[in-house]
Amino acid sequence: MIQQISPIPTGMIETQTIEVSIGPQHPSTHGVFRMDAVLDGETVVGLKPVMGYLHRNHEQLAERMTWLASIPYTDRLDYFNSMTNNWALCLSVEKLAGIKVPERAEYIRVIVSELTRILNHSCVIGFMLQDLGAWGTPLLYAFREREKILDLFESLSGARMMCNYMRFGGVRVDMTDAMVAQAKDIVAKFPRFLDEFEQLLSNNEVLLARCQKVGILPKELAINASISGPMARASGVDYDIRKVDKYGVYGRFDFRVPLGEVGDVYDRYYIRVLEMRESIKILNQALRDLPAGAFVAPEVKLRNFKIPPGDGYGRVEAPKGELGFYLVSDEGGKMPYRYHCRPPSFINLTTLEDMCLGHKVADVVIILGSVDIVLGEVDR
Amino acid sequence: MGFLGKGLFQGMAVTARNFVGTYFDRGTREKLVTYQYPEEKPPLPENSRSFPFLVYDGTPDAMRCVACKICETECPPQCIYIVMDRDEKGKPQQRPKVFDIDISVCMQCQICVEVCPFEAIKMDNDYEKSQYGRFDDLIEHLPDLLKSNEYYNEIKPTEAKAVDAKLKAEAEKKAKKGTSKPAAAAPAKPAAPAPAPKPATAPAGKITIPEDAPFTAEQRAWLAGFLSAGGVATSGTGVSPVAVAETTGETPVPLPEATPAAEAPAGGWPWHDPGLGMSQRMDLVKAAPLADKLMAAMAQTDCHACGYDCRGYADAIAAGSETDLSLCLPGEAETAKKLEELMKEAGKL
Ligand code: SF4
Ligand code: SF4
Repeated sequence: MIQQISPIPTGMIETQTIEVSIGPQHPSTHGVFRMDAVLDGETVVGLKPVMGYLHRNHEQLAERMTWLASIPYTDRLDYFNSMTNNWALCLSVEKLAGIKVPERAEYIRVIVSELTRILNHSCVIGFMLQDLGAWGTPLLYAFREREKILDLFESLSGARMMCNYMRFGGVRVDMTDAMVAQAKDIVAKFPRFLDEFEQLLSNNEVLLARCQKVGILPKELAINASISGPMARASGVDYDIRKVDKYGVYGRFDFRVPLGEVGDVYDRYYIRVLEMRESIKILNQALRDLPAGAFVAPEVKLRNFKIPPGDGYGRVEAPKGELGFYLVSDEGGKMPYRYHCRPPSFINLTTLEDMCLGHKVADVVIILGSVDIVLGEVDR
Repeated sequence: MGFLGKGLFQGMAVTARNFVGTYFDRGTREKLVTYQYPEEKPPLPENSRSFPFLVYDGTPDAMRCVACKICETECPPQCIYIVMDRDEKGKPQQRPKVFDIDISVCMQCQICVEVCPFEAIKMDNDYEKSQYGRFDDLIEHLPDLLKSNEYYNEIKPTEAKAVDAKLKAEAEKKAKKGTSKPAAAAPAKPAAPAPAPKPATAPAGKITIPEDAPFTAEQRAWLAGFLSAGGVATSGTGVSPVAVAETTGETPVPLPEATPAAEAPAGGWPWHDPGLGMSQRMDLVKAAPLADKLMAAMAQTDCHACGYDCRGYADAIAAGSETDLSLCLPGEAETAKKLEELMKEAGKL
């Protein structure tokens, strides 16, 4: 929707709006994504997100292959957080097939998901500051910490990013004691990094000037547009699926859901810092309580896995918001009849225009950065 | 809260601390994470995976893969291509003739490894696979894929030890059960170049294909195999599938039910040939007993994915000790449907 909002009083100078295409090959669009911005001088008066450059037909592909075979494809949705993607699909399938997951597997899932959340949030902050002009430093500090988590993921699942780690009814390989120790080490050292990160950023005058009161997303709009995840919570919507659904064993952990007040870019930055601190709390509890036992339900077959007819929706609180899979199985049951993915970053992106209107074009870039998108998930 | 610009100074201090810190941190790599890659390679954890390879014991001829094509079916991006080897008579040899993996398509998901019932395919951790060509160079063929069990033990010691122990236990179980059978069958005997057992000229009463018959070499080979396999009853000229299974050595045991019946009749089972279509196989068993009919509905690869060989699975269904009709993986839905149909016909379902 393009509105003609002219900040210059009429009659003084004759001005024209100009349409600028930002992206699809632009360093601050975080991938192949285009924004069709209409500018009046430097001010944004209209903005249309154009997506689909990275469309890979994920849903249709999944309808043509076995349930198991779509797990590695979910890694490629939000390639920062393959663990939570795996979990979302496995959770939906388990719901549909009525599979009970062993205790240990549930704890391992919580551990890897919370590590994923930390990894994602620290990188998002790094990327956002990159967009602000803080070239390199915060991002590389974040990447340094991320590297330690990825090392753990590699020794656990075999790959750094495309983990393909979860299976219906559990996880693929067990977490050895050495890996638990490694995870504990990461968790113990992370708060120090977070303090340092905050020292570097939270009170920085440039950051405050650029982020506060920029890109405000009102609470009502956040609810109406079905925004989820840290973005909704930054606007003050108290909605965290880990608390609401208590899927897995989340009901057993003691943690809080941080909420923002203003809903601007700064809130979205700070909410992620706070969420990382809460994740550390969950991790400490999960690593302490990790029970012994089976890591995958023995009755679930790898080959010839079939699901009786029915439909179901499973969702998890992915680092970017609510990630859900709606699955329909028909007779035969070897592959899904319908497979729908609810990607958080795609839906969060729909409010981009509302947040950008009236701001300068340089702010568009950080507003987009604060939404936290991964184009693999937006376009699927 | 201090003066304007305090935050900036704080930030600078953090940067300076990190900058200096890297110099005191070469041992623990707490702060310094850069590896000088081509010269210095980061150590790989045992679980790390790149592309699949095929394991052999001893010599490359004794590969564990039996060309059951389960991995081909299950591979999500469908990047495996397998052709089963056959001797000159057209008998399946339980080993692949062609085994190609397109590594430009392979998504390194490890699903082929997980579904293989024979521990034949494993993940490598060699990631330096760059090639100059875009097409042929990126397809790995059978010789590139074959790597020894020692190599596997070297890159993944824990996992390989567990696999070795499991295979050993299976072999022992097999040796115990198969006392009636000649256990001396040389395990590593290469199947393809073996002297053709019984050329078509040997026994009297054998139908031979005239030299001037209008067949291509390929058709001739198939026909010879078909005839010797028992299209016409002769005195044990056919190489029974069981014999083939023994020469390759590595196949898991048929279950107890299967053992007595698994001795092929003198003429072999003419339908036991994965080259035939379902309707052709069914034609061959029109007048046969139920177990034979059931067997003919299988995919005839003797892959043991069901836990039996084709004969054993059919016998188990016919005897009622196995009720799941969908276990034949290479046969897919076609086999499952046919089995159901046959059981209904026989009034057992
Ligand atoms: S599943 Fe294993 S035995 Fe069967 S074709 Fe593949 S590698 Fe060979
Ligand atoms: S690793 Fe995955 S993609 Fe590659 S060959 Fe095996 S099943 Fe196929």
